[in-house]
Amino acid sequence: MAKLTGQFVREDREAGIFEVNRQAFLSEEVLAAEKAEFFDKVWLYLGHESELAKPNDFIARQVGGRPIMFSRDKKGQIRALINTCRHRGAQVCRDDFGNAKIFTCFYHGWAYDTGGALVSVPDGDAYASLDRSTHGLVSPPQVDSYAGFWFLSYNPDVEPLADYLADAKALLDLVADQSETSMSVVKGAHHYSMRANWKLLMENSCDGYHGMSVHQTYIEMMMSMGMVPSLLSQQEDGASYRPDFGIDLGNGHATTMFPELGRPLMSERSKELVAAHRARMVERMGEDYTRRALNTSRNTIVFPNLVIVDLNFGIQIRTMFPVAPDRTDITGWQITPDEVGDELKGYRIDNALTFWGPGGLATPDDVEALEQCQLGFAASAEVPWSDISKGFGKERPSTMDELQMRTFWRQWNRCVTGEDLPGEGYSYDELMQHVAAKVAAS
Amino acid sequence: MTAMSVEGRAATVTRADVEDFLYREAALLDSWELMQWLELLTPDAVYEIPAPDRPNDDPGTTFSLIHDHREMIDQRVIRLMKTTAHAENPRSRTRRFIANVRIDGVEGDELMVAANFMVSRIRREQVTYVGRYEYVLVVTDDGLRIRHRKAIVDHFRLDPHGKISILL
Repeated sequence: MAKLTGQFVREDREAGIFEVNRQAFLSEEVLAAEKAEFFDKVWLYLGHESELAKPNDFIARQVGGRPIMFSRDKKGQIRALINTCRHRGAQVCRDDFGNAKIFTCFYHGWAYDTGGALVSVPDGDAYASLDRSTHGLVSPPQVDSYAGFWFLSYNPDVEPLADYLADAKALLDLVADQSETSMSVVKGAHHYSMRANWKLLMENSCDGYHGMSVHQTYIEMMMSMGMVPSLLSQQEDGASYRPDFGIDLGNGHATTMFPELGRPLMSERSKELVAAHRARMVERMGEDYTRRALNTSRNTIVFPNLVIVDLNFGIQIRTMFPVAPDRTDITGWQITPDEVGDELKGYRIDNALTFWGPGGLATPDDVEALEQCQLGFAASAEVPWSDISKGFGKERPSTMDELQMRTFWRQWNRCVTGEDLPGEGYSYDELMQHVAAKVAAS
Repeated sequence: MTAMSVEGRAATVTRADVEDFLYREAALLDSWELMQWLELLTPDAVYEIPAPDRPNDDPGTTFSLIHDHREMIDQRVIRLMKTTAHAENPRSRTRRFIANVRIDGVEGDELMVAANFMVSRIRREQVTYVGRYEYVLVVTDDGLRIRHRKAIVDHFRLDPHGKISILL
């Protein structure tokens, strides 16, 4: 497929203007280009290792439009297998998750083990030449993990995962390092849809600017329950300097890093549990790194469609896939340190549910905002451009600015049109050195 | 009645009494009289919706959709009554159909009640939530009150619903 020829992203660096053409949210041609130019080419999030606790555990999920079995084989090795029988194509695994030694395609009875090997073909003697060893379930061409997060790519020639993730690796580490043993995805997932383009949710997932207006009721709730929103408050770790940045992590990945939000549900007991967990992390990782992990909130996006939001009271993992230009499938998970005990886990779940998901007190308002944008795009002929200029040209754009969205859009534009616009801002390491110098000076 | 113990009164509650109560609750919710709805709850009430892929698991230990203790139920209602609850401004029109009501057990002053529901929500488009309720109702001097209210949805994915921005 040829690259798109229209102009979808335009910027004027001197004037500090960055705009996205609304056809990017509307056009079937754009959707086809997104599939061909990056969903089929780059690394896509598959799942977390903790979702497969035991040998022969499996999860069936859609990744990049293909049915995938994310599984642990009998030896404990994590695998991704494409869930289609080599014989006629039926999905061999029809449960969403479970534990099984053998997957038997119910159409004609071909059976595979959890490693994908074809172990049984009914009436197999009738085949003149059927080599079972070459008729196992097919794996995606590339499957790899970083810090417990598993990814796949349908492109055999994709760059190594570690290179692709670039500085996003540091943000995955800031999640993984919160546990002494391993981070653990909580059982249960939020599967829901929205009537809006998927990229609106990627933007929204790292958008600090919308917080006060979209989530006014949530902030009012926190204040009525005795919390003070973080930007106004004195925090418990006693630090005198707090980072507040949007950060370009390379390859279209970006994050915001800002003072922790505070916890809507808080008791003396939960404060003790949180403090004990923090103290153990300080012993393991030191005060400065612990403060970065546990006393900043971070909305991280990994291009094209993975979101990891750490709001301290909970950590949300989210993926989204386009179904149509105005329709998106969304999945949300919650991940916690595994060793903290049921009491702290329950407290984290309850806090997370106040905010996230179809029944949360925040997510439905986000979805409403994005659906309203999509409705407004119907007038794209008259109003063709959206503005994403906030903080463009600042030395260190903040969470309330829009560097992180511009980072996403430049990579999107690079993929679908081939136009290579330069990035902006300091690197993650430079900003962390800046933080260290500020803390040392204070 | 005054001489009868609370336990005794629970045993005398009929299915028709429970249906009347559930219909009155549904009417309050459909007419957005949510502050009046709160008066039907006990001070220790819990409202929960399990994760659609884990309908039989405890919503307090899984990534469920809702696991509200009374304080959060109050906050949910306070929020929904504001015009800044954007997902419900303007408000959805809802219509609740409750059927197959059963009293599954009586313990002390409590009744275990099950019912099926279809809840239509119409806003920009119409969606229908289908599932079942599990209630723990308690007999008080003021009548039946809700101690535990669990809505278990049959949907595997909330598509096209997207959100549960109403009280389900």
